Amino acid sequence: MSYGSYETLIVEREGHIGWLIFNRPEQLNAMNNAMRDELADAWLELDHDPEVRVIVHTGNGRAFQTGVDVMEIATDGIGFERYRDSMENFDVHFTAWHQHVWKPVICAVNGICAGGAFHWVADSDIVIAASDAQFFDPHVSVGQVVAIEAIGLIRRMPAEAVMRMAFVGKYERMTAQRAYELGMVSQIVDPPENLREEAQKLAELIAKNSPTAMRYTKKALWGALEAGLTDSCKAGAQQLVAMWGHPDQEEGPAAFAEKRDANWAPLTPSE
Amino acid sequence: MSTPIGTFERLEVWRDGHVGWLVFDRPDAGNALDAVMFRELEQAWLALDADPEVRVIVNTGNGPAFQTGLDMVQVAKDKDALRAVSRQTRDFELRFTAWQVGVRKPVIAAVNGICAGGGLHFVADADIVIASSTATFTDPHVSVGQVSAFETIALIRRSPAEPVLRMAFTGRHERMPASRAYQLGICSQVVDLPENLRAEAAALAEKIAKNSPTAMAVTKKALWEALERDLTAACAAGAKDLAIMWGHPDQEEGPAAFADKREPAWTPLDHGLIEAATQAQERNA
Repeated sequence: MSYGSYETLIVEREGHIGWLIFNRPEQLNAMNNAMRDELADAWLELDHDPEVRVIVHTGNGRAFQTGVDVMEIATDGIGFERYRDSMENFDVHFTAWHQHVWKPVICAVNGICAGGAFHWVADSDIVIAASDAQFFDPHVSVGQVVAIEAIGLIRRMPAEAVMRMAFVGKYERMTAQRAYELGMVSQIVDPPENLREEAQKLAELIAKNSPTAMRYTKKALWGALEAGLTDSCKAGAQQLVAMWGHPDQEEGPAAFAEKRDANWAPLTPSE
Repeated sequence: MSTPIGTFERLEVWRDGHVGWLVFDRPDAGNALDAVMFRELEQAWLALDADPEVRVIVNTGNGPAFQTGLDMVQVAKDKDALRAVSRQTRDFELRFTAWQVGVRKPVIAAVNGICAGGGLHFVADADIVIASSTATFTDPHVSVGQVSAFETIALIRRSPAEPVLRMAFTGRHERMPASRAYQLGICSQVVDLPENLRAEAAALAEKIAKNSPTAMAVTKKALWEALERDLTAACAAGAKDLAIMWGHPDQEEGPAAFADKREPAWTPLDHGLIEAATQAQERNA
């Protein structure tokens, strides 16, 4: 399966691993209007490709992402008004979570991660970072509010650190080491140039697992962020039971007993 | 140059530049909360929030303790004095932390020593927490036959849950050191020399004071309201908060100052704007 052509992204597959790469290195991968539209398509293409089991998401150049393209906002005569309707209705489509991607997504933070970049950190399943990655949120330093990305982060990590980033703005940066300590990322890659190789390795480990079991697991865990504990467990029980009787549940133990890799059933189209 | 704000018996409250200070001042009693301090705290938070010169608030304590919670001596000797607080507790209508009284400005808790029991309210309800290396955290409620609820409920949303449950059940028999609070992300900075805590708090507050007061107030609203809601509902509400700021003069001033290499001249915080936006959101909900 070949992917559509993109102006602001690189979308490709290596084995079972789909790659989505921000590709505006000169603009520190800032999201302009074109990238915003392309992201919506790219996530769906990778999610629909039956060969892709895990998606890795990273950036070209010295930044991972620096959020909305302020230059475009300042010069196109439309500014934020372009985004008002979609934002006020929270009808946005640029992250895997927005697009209901149920395959595991690894975010590999390759450098500066600023402001709107946290959308992709907050909306990934797994986050790893190059040792020289830096995290900060300059919104309030330029007269902007921080909301969605910090709201997502606050449920994944201690809240104080998120609030500190939100209020200190551009006057402080969090290191990859502190992000690791706080559990915002689970792995630091040193030297930084090995990041993609390590991301591919991690993704290949994950790709050995049952795609169907991972889909229901992801639904259960993200669903848990939507509800209180008891309601989440009840909804999670539905996901658990959805897997019962699936051939992967025979194949997994059989492969284990025979000391071979499991031959998983392909994902059925998402419901 | 510090300017005193109001007159208080149990607190010291002043402003230094754009930074407001709210300091517990019962050092001989571990800064414990008695009926007078409860009353004064509400007045002090509201005065700092209303002062147009104040952009950030630092909360700390005089003496070796930060805050040791409800004054057990008053509980033992003069229960009547605490009747109003007991009623507020039962109805969850407490009015002594920044969150309880609806402060819109960023609040930094600078924990200068032991923070025990009800003292944890001021950690749980702050935006940012820093601590002296001598600070400790403990929750003795169950050791004196009291239930631990509000403080630990709020903390459990800000920190891994196990340490909060451990603190609640070990009671006065264990104290968490500042270094562990830092590892867990309960605080973001430990100041090695305790005497430098206020200077470090002031330096942090002054950085924050450089940011747009209005953008910070709306950000604070979005993030704290998110703790009340499920993920999608919180994001949908947060999206409406984002749009409150669109068209505000600070959004022109921020990039302009950046381009001119000067400090931005922010519009003063207008509480009315945020109240009006909140009411409009509630009407449309």
